Amino acid sequence: MAKIKVVHYINQFFAQVGGEEQADYPIEIRKGEHLGPGLAFQQAFGDEAEIVATIICGDGFFSEHIDDAKAKLLEMVKGEKPDIFIAGPAFNAGRYGFACATAAMAVQEELHIPVLTGMYIENPGVEMAKDKVYIVSTKNSAAGMRDAVKKMAPLALKLAKGEKIGASVEEGYIPQGQRVNFFEKERGAERAVKMLLAKLNGKPFTTEYPMPSFDRVEPNPAVKDMAHATVALVTSGGIVPKGNPDHIESSNASKYGEYDITGVNDLTADTYETAHGGYDPSYANQDADRVLPVDVLRDLEKEHVIGKLYNKFYTTVGNGTAVASAKAFAEEIGKKLKEDHVDAVILTST
Amino acid sequence: MKLELGKIFIKDIRFAEKTALQDGVLSVSKDDLREVALSEEKIKTVSFDIAKPGESVRITPVKDVIEPRVKVEGRGGVFPGVISGVDTVGSGKTYCLKGMAVVTAGPIVGFQEGVIDMSGPGADYTPFSKTLNLVVLCEPKEGTEAHDYERAVRMVGLKIATHLAELSKELSPDESQTYETLDLLEGMKAYPDLPRVAYVQMLQSQGLLHDTYVYGVDAKKILPTILYPTEDMDGAILSGNCVSACDKNPTYVHENNPVIEELFKQHGKTINFVAHVITNENVYLADKERSSNQTAKLCKMLHLDGVVVSEEGFGNPDTDLIMNCKKIEAEGIKTVLITDEYAGRDGKSQSLADADKAADALVTAGNANQVVVLPKLDKLIGTLDYITKIAGANADTLREDGSLEVELQVITGATSEVGFNKLSAR
Amino acid sequence: MNSFQIITNNPSLEGELSHRYPEAPIDVSFRKLSFRSVLTAVRDEIHGGAKLLSHPLSGSVKPLETPYKSVLIERRDGADLDLDSLSLIENAIQACDKFIEQDRIHIPELQKDFQLVDRSLILTAVDSLLSDF
Repeated sequence: MAKIKVVHYINQFFAQVGGEEQADYPIEIRKGEHLGPGLAFQQAFGDEAEIVATIICGDGFFSEHIDDAKAKLLEMVKGEKPDIFIAGPAFNAGRYGFACATAAMAVQEELHIPVLTGMYIENPGVEMAKDKVYIVSTKNSAAGMRDAVKKMAPLALKLAKGEKIGASVEEGYIPQGQRVNFFEKERGAERAVKMLLAKLNGKPFTTEYPMPSFDRVEPNPAVKDMAHATVALVTSGGIVPKGNPDHIESSNASKYGEYDITGVNDLTADTYETAHGGYDPSYANQDADRVLPVDVLRDLEKEHVIGKLYNKFYTTVGNGTAVASAKAFAEEIGKKLKEDHVDAVILTST
Repeated sequence: MKLELGKIFIKDIRFAEKTALQDGVLSVSKDDLREVALSEEKIKTVSFDIAKPGESVRITPVKDVIEPRVKVEGRGGVFPGVISGVDTVGSGKTYCLKGMAVVTAGPIVGFQEGVIDMSGPGADYTPFSKTLNLVVLCEPKEGTEAHDYERAVRMVGLKIATHLAELSKELSPDESQTYETLDLLEGMKAYPDLPRVAYVQMLQSQGLLHDTYVYGVDAKKILPTILYPTEDMDGAILSGNCVSACDKNPTYVHENNPVIEELFKQHGKTINFVAHVITNENVYLADKERSSNQTAKLCKMLHLDGVVVSEEGFGNPDTDLIMNCKKIEAEGIKTVLITDEYAGRDGKSQSLADADKAADALVTAGNANQVVVLPKLDKLIGTLDYITKIAGANADTLREDGSLEVELQVITGATSEVGFNKLSAR
Repeated sequence: MNSFQIITNNPSLEGELSHRYPEAPIDVSFRKLSFRSVLTAVRDEIHGGAKLLSHPLSGSVKPLETPYKSVLIERRDGADLDLDSLSLIENAIQACDKFIEQDRIHIPELQKDFQLVDRSLILTAVDSLLSDF
């Protein structure tokens, strides 16, 4: 049988081009080469598969020229006619994860070539792509490279050969929100008793069916006196003053914005827009009140339904933004609102 | 309470002139068994067949599976309150015919499920592809109501199993195992340092074709109660359940309850296996509240540290499962739950109809909605008349090449929620 | 005033109920609805203050694998929304949507058995309710 052909995608850092200062390194292909993690992959593949080309791109370049980078990447991959496309592993690097997820999804969708990537569970790339492509679960830093390759190489071969893929726990990929049956080594009753022993002894155990996420916040008691309350608007819908002065990213945002709306009664197409890259922006750009209802709140202010609208709004882009970043933004925003004696907040999303 | 379980290994079953058991070979006379079966007045005709592991045989529609057992020493008799008197069982000596099962079949309702394949991919999912099966097909008299038919077939299975087990009474078992549960005080003294653990078993009890019997009592009418774990081994709990083939507990599974076996393996070593608590899964919501309150109370009274809770069925029982879990955990007692999943054919839906963060340790027996293709097998015991009418089937189920495309839920015992199998899901 | 009602699309229920419990203070509200629509009708009643008395997913015959569903509720005039009932019915509707409607629910000769199972399950709830009096 002919050797399986692999195309490997890595960033500037793993290609030893350079660190952050080389983040704008444009996309390029090195035919017949395997570099960085590619060496480990090639070793793991042995004679079964060969990395026929390595595509290198700076993380900054990829995210800032996403359409261009994607088009070039697809062209390069297509030219090699690989049996499998591997991206990363990206560990916990956010922008690299974004690139790997985007590249893998594009190759699978456009070229119908099997793809595989690897990331740490909290990498924002996981949320973006885990339902669509196989992402092997890795440690949070490159210290986990050996382990990552050990899991990724055999799974890549299986994917390339079109073999049946087992359950996430067998193959080491991040669960895709899809339950897959498989045979365990022990019967259910034995597993249950072992799990109980671990639970009784305070030892770690892993439930076989995690309950749906319960990351819930108990609601505060209702505001009693709305007529004297100060109400603030906060959104993850990306509404920003026209021109996006703080350059909030269209996805995987690393920051939030704080903007004064003193005297602003209506958000218009000339003054506000959305920075969000995850939904059709036309309706938000026509009238940003649709996402951030300043106009309605001004009316309520006049009608004395609410005391007043807080003179600033906070905004970020929820698209692919890491939960950890969102939590950090919320902590800062919450603190500021509290210091300014805001009584209630309306959170809008998209 | 102490029970010695003597195992007589059955190597073969064959039809013969006379019913006998010798050197592990069970000979059965059809006439003899017919007489036993027809003692149930609602049964018009009965026929018998034998299915062996590895054979190209499919059995359907299966109702119950029973392991023949007989009491040889001590109080009471097997299947108390139904076949024997109501003496408390679980002590003395009981013999069982290992490696075989009595399988009852018949269309209790027009959508009767239950498929056992003795070979091929279907055989991997059902535990009863590994037993020598004596299949008993019962047809009812004209005009018999479904609930009478169900009862009659249930009784035929139990009577035939008992009749066969009687043959072993004078034999000496190939292997024996003793199970012992001390009373509460002695147990506490014997294992002062071991965590106190019980098994909480939820019994299907929603109504017709969804019933379970405990000492002959309809389980929907019980308050949760405590058994010695060995009582179950003498058939104190038996199945009157005909729907949801994959996750109902056939009588065989009650007799050989794997949670009880696994807890006994650890008993005296890592845990003190204190008791078997049984509760129900009624339709009426106030019954659920009452039963889960009582179950949690019993766990507290027994001063437990941990329990394994097993479910039986889908939907309605999910609510009981979560109530039991929450209330038992609230008493400071650790829980591990066993269930199966209905996550849709694509595996993408919520698996359970209820959820709570207290349910942090759960063992799954797999997604019952998963589609399997069962190839055509050479011989059919029963009838395929009902196959397109069973759950997870449709008009295209019976394919041109004779294979069946069905959901796992039609296969008897496939997603056992007492953890009988190795199937799981992630 | 509070009253007990069974919302059902099972045509065999009313006769059997009045036969078995001629005196029972339970009103049978028969509606020509699909399985799922019975659940949404129950949900609407819950938003009007009714309380669920039987589990909406009773039975091992799963949603859309049988055409029939009967649910016992207590109608409570002017009562607040019962959140436990709401959560049960919403979960049931969600669970219903993961099943694929099966051809068999249209087979005429199976209707009697489907009705029988549904009827028998809801009557166990009626038994429990009446024993509470």
